[in-house]
Amino acid sequence: MRQRLIILVLAMLMVFTAACSSGTSSNGAKNQNGAGGNEVSQVELRIMWWGDQKRADITNEALKIFQEKNPGIKVVGEFAPSTGYFDKLNTQLASGTAPDIFFLGGNVVDYANKEVLLDLSPYVDKELNLSDMDQSMIQYGTIGGKLLHISAGANARGVVVNKTMLEKAGIPVPTDGWNWEDFARISKEISDKLGSGIYGTYNMSIDGMDIGLKQQGKQLYDMDKGTLGFEEADALKWFQYWDTAAKSGGVVPSELQVSNPPGDTSKSLVVTGKVAMSLIPSNQLAAIQGLTQDELIMVQVPRGEKGTGVVFESSQGLSGYAKTKHPKEVATLLSFFINDPDVAKILGNDRGVPVTSANRTLLESNANDVEKIVYDYTSRVSEATKTEPFAVSYNPPGFSEYSKLAETTMYEVGFGRKSVEQAVSDFYSGTVKIFKNNQ
Amino acid sequence: MRKSRKPLANQHNLTAYTFLLPWLIGFFCLTLGPMLGSLYLSLTKYNLLTPPQWIGFANYIEIFKEDDTFSNSLWLTIKYVFISVPLRLAFALMVAMVLNKGIRALGIYRTIYYIPSLLGGSVAIAIVWRQIFDGSGLVNQFLGWFGIQGPSWISHPSYIVYTIISLSIWQFGSAMVIFLAGLKQVPADLYEAAQVDGANKVRQFFRITLPMLSPVIFFNLVMSIINSFQAFTPAFVIGDGRGGPLDATMFYTLYLYMKGFSFFDMGYASALAWIMLLIIGAFTAIIFVTSKYWVFYGDSKEGR
Repeated sequence: MRQRLIILVLAMLMVFTAACSSGTSSNGAKNQNGAGGNEVSQVELRIMWWGDQKRADITNEALKIFQEKNPGIKVVGEFAPSTGYFDKLNTQLASGTAPDIFFLGGNVVDYANKEVLLDLSPYVDKELNLSDMDQSMIQYGTIGGKLLHISAGANARGVVVNKTMLEKAGIPVPTDGWNWEDFARISKEISDKLGSGIYGTYNMSIDGMDIGLKQQGKQLYDMDKGTLGFEEADALKWFQYWDTAAKSGGVVPSELQVSNPPGDTSKSLVVTGKVAMSLIPSNQLAAIQGLTQDELIMVQVPRGEKGTGVVFESSQGLSGYAKTKHPKEVATLLSFFINDPDVAKILGNDRGVPVTSANRTLLESNANDVEKIVYDYTSRVSEATKTEPFAVSYNPPGFSEYSKLAETTMYEVGFGRKSVEQAVSDFYSGTVKIFKNNQ
Repeated sequence: MRKSRKPLANQHNLTAYTFLLPWLIGFFCLTLGPMLGSLYLSLTKYNLLTPPQWIGFANYIEIFKEDDTFSNSLWLTIKYVFISVPLRLAFALMVAMVLNKGIRALGIYRTIYYIPSLLGGSVAIAIVWRQIFDGSGLVNQFLGWFGIQGPSWISHPSYIVYTIISLSIWQFGSAMVIFLAGLKQVPADLYEAAQVDGANKVRQFFRITLPMLSPVIFFNLVMSIINSFQAFTPAFVIGDGRGGPLDATMFYTLYLYMKGFSFFDMGYASALAWIMLLIIGAFTAIIFVTSKYWVFYGDSKEGR
């Protein structure tokens, strides 16, 4: 009996070690492949994106259609929540096992600098059809003379306003063209009138920082010159505005913003009706509206000296891996992703408004109420930038470290650990250091 | 007598090494290579994607001279270790002594109390902890009964570390099981003799239980300190995963991880890792050196 037990334990140990070793020696793609295909001639592509379950479902559905239309290519999708996505991607890039295609956001410059992105220029007009894509989007994906990034959706940031709450407080709903003074006044009024625990606005000092700088005629990162595009004094002005607004009581206190960050729709206080205004990318409106009964609208960002500072720009896009074995198939999939009408119908505006005019018309004709608000908003922004043009924003190199620093700065002020002057001074010197380190 | 001792010692060694074998194989085949690799990388600037460039000790110099986050995260980690380890051990000892009173179904209790140790390091439990200590979570509802308005424990930079410490104390199980085994080893006649001499329970605890248990305490202390220095999951999950709010959850390991995998500075992260190794080594050495003053081996006089 005892001997049998020992043998059993040993057998289990062996199974365990075997399982472990196979996990480390072969990468994820091979494992997933093991279940399905025996066809030898098939090319297999891996694609990775970030986002929630809903996005995963529709993306997988789109990939399924692609495989039906391209029987020679098998696609394996992977996804991660946005918080862990880039760590996962970085690790895979470091070990040389990155997916053939992956999504990137404004941090595309970081990856372009590290030369891990596939140059798609040779495939344009062959596998990759960009004839219907907006010229500005093609330009956005062209970094250092190479086409490295295909935008998968465009958006414009704006202020989401809970109309129901404002009506309840008896405050007139703001309209495009308002300025920051109006914004601070309205925020405070909402907080005052709707009682404790309810606030006018989230603290947008970090998410809206590049907008705030553009409104002063500066920018976060000057891509053409390869330098930082602002001075300490510019940042100080912006942070001081928010500090004053926060002290008057119209802004969500730091403690609450930490536990309910605005970017996380499942925790957002806009959804629970505790906050009336927040800065969002237009493609998020549908997700937020889907979780609340209140009526939400989108208003342009309050104006600064030079205007709103907002442009209609890429929200995220696809890049190929420089070391992919199947660059042609990568280009085919990218082309399909932005051009195919069936895919556009499935994906909708989840990643932003489609970047090809044909698909945009297609979706606009079938738009529901929320989507109509989004289209209306983005066309207002496009209209405004005709008279007040602003540069498209790229994130500076070392963006994840920078954004961590910026967030710390906001909370240092918010929790009263440092004076605004001190915090911004540390912020600026830290930013310069990160920037130098990552060039 | 002398002749027979050596073969016996050899035999002891052989047994020991046989049991150590799996670890030794793992160390030489899996751990040693990457360790030496990281030692090399710590002397380079390496962004993961382009080949490392040799920069000598520049990483170390920067860490000690300029890096505030390094010193902050180190102090935070030391604070965490120095609060959580004694509390966890004290709690484990307390529970072990209660269980040692000869209650029925000891096995079941022992298992139940051990479970947190198995679960405690997991992500799921850390998420549960988030819910419990949230602004409107269980803890604050409980405090609410007494009219106390508790803060949001997981989002205020001054309190969040205590949330993590409480999670660490809750994982007292493995230390408790070892204490329990140790308590069973204490001869009952010592207590009987003490009772006859009129020593009360407190005196018995300090004069008999603690000294007899000191080797077990020694072992638990070393293991707990090493483990606590390496705490990662609770800080990663209970905080925002980026050391926030305000670096209040920026444990040393988390900082190391972020430097390496989020900020593309693997050379710097490797240097941090080696500094951590030296720090843990130093603490362990201190405990070993001082152990001869406070660890009492009941059987040391009679030899092996």
